[in-house]
Amino acid sequence: MENEISDVKNYKLSFHGNGGTFFGIVIVNWLLTVITLGFYYPWAKAKQLQYMYGSAALNGDRFAFHGTGKEMFKGYIKVLVIFGLIYGILFLSIYFDYLYLGLIFFYFAFIAVLPIAIHGSYRYRFSRTSWRGIRFGYRGDRNEFFVSFFKWIFFTLITLGIYSSWMEMKMRKYLLSNVRAGDVEFRYDGKGGEYFIMNLVGGLLTLITLGVYSFWYYKNLFAYYIDNLSLHKNGKEIKLKSTATGGDFFKLIIVNLLIIVFSLGLGYAWVVTRTINFVFSKIQMEGDIDLDTINQTEADYNDATGEDMSDFLNIDLVI
Amino acid sequence: MNRSAGIYFDGISSVPQKIELILDEQQAELVFVTTGINTNKWAIKEISFEHIGDLLEIRHGSNATSFIKVSDADFITDFIAFLNKKGHIGWYYKMLHLGMKAYISLAVIILGLIVGGYLVVIPWVAEKAVMIIPESYDISMGNTFYKEYVSQNDIDSDKSKALNIFAQQLELNNTRELHFTVVKSSTINAFALPNGNIIVYTGLIDLMKNYDEMAGLIGHEVIHVNNRHSMKMLCRNLAGYIFISVVLSDVNSIMAIIGDNVHNLQSLSYSRQFEHQADEEGTGLMIQNNINPKGMTDLFTRLQSEEKVVVPAFISSHPITTDRIETINKMIRRISYRNINHLELEKLFLEMKK
Repeated sequence: MENEISDVKNYKLSFHGNGGTFFGIVIVNWLLTVITLGFYYPWAKAKQLQYMYGSAALNGDRFAFHGTGKEMFKGYIKVLVIFGLIYGILFLSIYFDYLYLGLIFFYFAFIAVLPIAIHGSYRYRFSRTSWRGIRFGYRGDRNEFFVSFFKWIFFTLITLGIYSSWMEMKMRKYLLSNVRAGDVEFRYDGKGGEYFIMNLVGGLLTLITLGVYSFWYYKNLFAYYIDNLSLHKNGKEIKLKSTATGGDFFKLIIVNLLIIVFSLGLGYAWVVTRTINFVFSKIQMEGDIDLDTINQTEADYNDATGEDMSDFLNIDLVI
Repeated sequence: MNRSAGIYFDGISSVPQKIELILDEQQAELVFVTTGINTNKWAIKEISFEHIGDLLEIRHGSNATSFIKVSDADFITDFIAFLNKKGHIGWYYKMLHLGMKAYISLAVIILGLIVGGYLVVIPWVAEKAVMIIPESYDISMGNTFYKEYVSQNDIDSDKSKALNIFAQQLELNNTRELHFTVVKSSTINAFALPNGNIIVYTGLIDLMKNYDEMAGLIGHEVIHVNNRHSMKMLCRNLAGYIFISVVLSDVNSIMAIIGDNVHNLQSLSYSRQFEHQADEEGTGLMIQNNINPKGMTDLFTRLQSEEKVVVPAFISSHPITTDRIETINKMIRRISYRNINHLELEKLFLEMKK
C-alpha cells in the first residue's frame, strides 16, 4: 500500500471558452435559426455543444463533442412523431368523449417518455464525447432503468414527494455509475437520507433568512454532487472535490443576474461561459489513475432521439 | 514547407505520441511519422479541424477519435490560410470569425427583423386568419359566453325590449343580427359579444341624460361587432404569443419573459386601436342616422366624471377618456351633420330610464 503514495498524480480541469467567442456562435446560430424558421436548431445546438466541450480541458487536453446537427435533426423528427401521436390520441379520445381515459393515457405516456428520454440522452451525449480520442459511454440498461423509474415515481407519489430526495440520488447513482471514459468507470455515492436532510435544512434556513442562505444551500448541493463522484480503473481511483464556498456562489449568481438584466438577455453568452468556468475551477481531483493509460472501449452510437426528447421536455443533463 | 511539433492520439489509448507534423503544400497533404516507422499522409480535402482558442485539432475522414493536436500559433495561421486558399474553409467558420462589431450589428439586425415582423406580420396574419375563420365560430363563442355569464344575471326584460326596438329604428350597417340585453346592475359598463349580443348595464343607462348618448353607445358597440374585433384580438394575441415563444425562447428564458411583457403591452395597444375605431365609426353611424354626434362626447364626459383613478394610456386597454372626447370633437368639427329630433327614440329612452 505504501508505494501508492508515490503514485499520486496531478489533475487539473480548466475551461478556456470566452464569452465573446460564444456570443458570436449564439448570434450566428440565432440568425440561422430565425431565417430557417427554426429548422436550423439541431445544427445550432451541435455547434454550441462542440464549442463548450472543445473549450473544456483536463490536464491541458480538450474534450470533444462529435455529435452532428444531422443526427439531432433525425432525432427531432422522431420526437415530433412521438409527441404528435401522444397528443393525437388525447384529441381523439376527447372527440369520442373518452376524456378521462384519454387524460390517463396522456399522463402515463408523458411519465413513460421521461426515463426513455433520459436514457437515450445519456447514451447519445456520452458516446459523442471524447477526451484524447477516448470515447465516453453510458452502459445503463433501458428496461431496468424504466422499471426503476416507475418504482421511484410510485414511492414519490405515495409519500407525497418526500421520497423525491431518494429518487434523485438513486437515479443519479444509476446513471452516473454507468458512465465511463474508455476503461475508466464513474461512480456516484450520494445517499437519499443525507440528501433529504440537506434539502430540508437548506430549504428551512433559506426561508428563515429570506433567501440569503440560498447561496450556502447551493454550495452544499454542488459539493454533494461533486464530492460523491469518483473515477475507477483497475483498483485505482480519482476523487472529485468541490472547493466552492457560499461566497463564491453569491458572487457568481449576483453578477450573472446583473449581466442578464442590464443586457436585456443578450449577455447570456457571458453568463454561460462564466458559470462553466466557475464549475471547472471549483473542482479538485485527487488520485492515482495514470491518464496516459486509458484504453478505448466504447463503440459508436448515433441515435439522438433521446437527446432531442430531453431537449423537448426541458430536462438538462445532470453532470 | 511548414513544420510544427504536434501530439497524436491514435484513438486506441490515451497515450500522447509526440510527432513532427509537416504541411506539404505541393501534394496538399499533412505528413507525420508515428512510432518511428509509420508515415501517415492525410489529404487536405479529407480532413476536418476544430479551432478553439489557441488550439487546433485535426481529424481525418470519418474517424472521430484519432486526431492531431497543434498549439504552434504560426503553423495554425499558415495551415488555415492554406485551407482557405484551397477552398476548404466552410462558411460557418468564416461567420464565426467576423469579429465583435459584426456580431453586434447582426444582433441589432435580428432584433430589428423580429420587431418588424412582430409589428407588421402579426397583425397581417391575424387579419387573414380572421377572414378564414368562419363567422359561425364567432356566433358559437358568443353564445357560450352569453349562456355561461350573461344569462345568470338579473335581466330586465322590459328595458331589453325597449332597447331592441330603439336599435331597430337605427340604420347600423350591421352584418349580423343584433340582440340587446339590459342587465340590472349598478356597474357602469356595456360590452359586445362576437355573436351580435350587446349587453348594457342599468348603471350606465342611469348615468345617461339623453337618447343620443344611447345611440352613441350602440354605435360604438356595433362597430366592435361589425369588425369582428373580439376575434381579431384573439388571433393577434395568439399569433403574437406563438411568434414570441418560437423566436425568443430558443435564445434564453430571460428574453422570452421580456418578449412576453412587451407583447402584453402591445396587445393593450391593439385594444386601444379597436376602441378608437369604434369611437370614430360609431360617431359616423350617429351622423348617418341624423342623430346629434355630441351624444358620443356627452357619454364620455359622464363616464369621465365617474372615473376615480386615471390609468396611463400605455397600460390601459382603453384610450384615455379626454383623448377620446378630443378625437370625436375634431371629427365633428370636420364633418357637417343634420340633427333631427327623434321623438320615437326619446320615448323609448325614457322607458329605459324608468
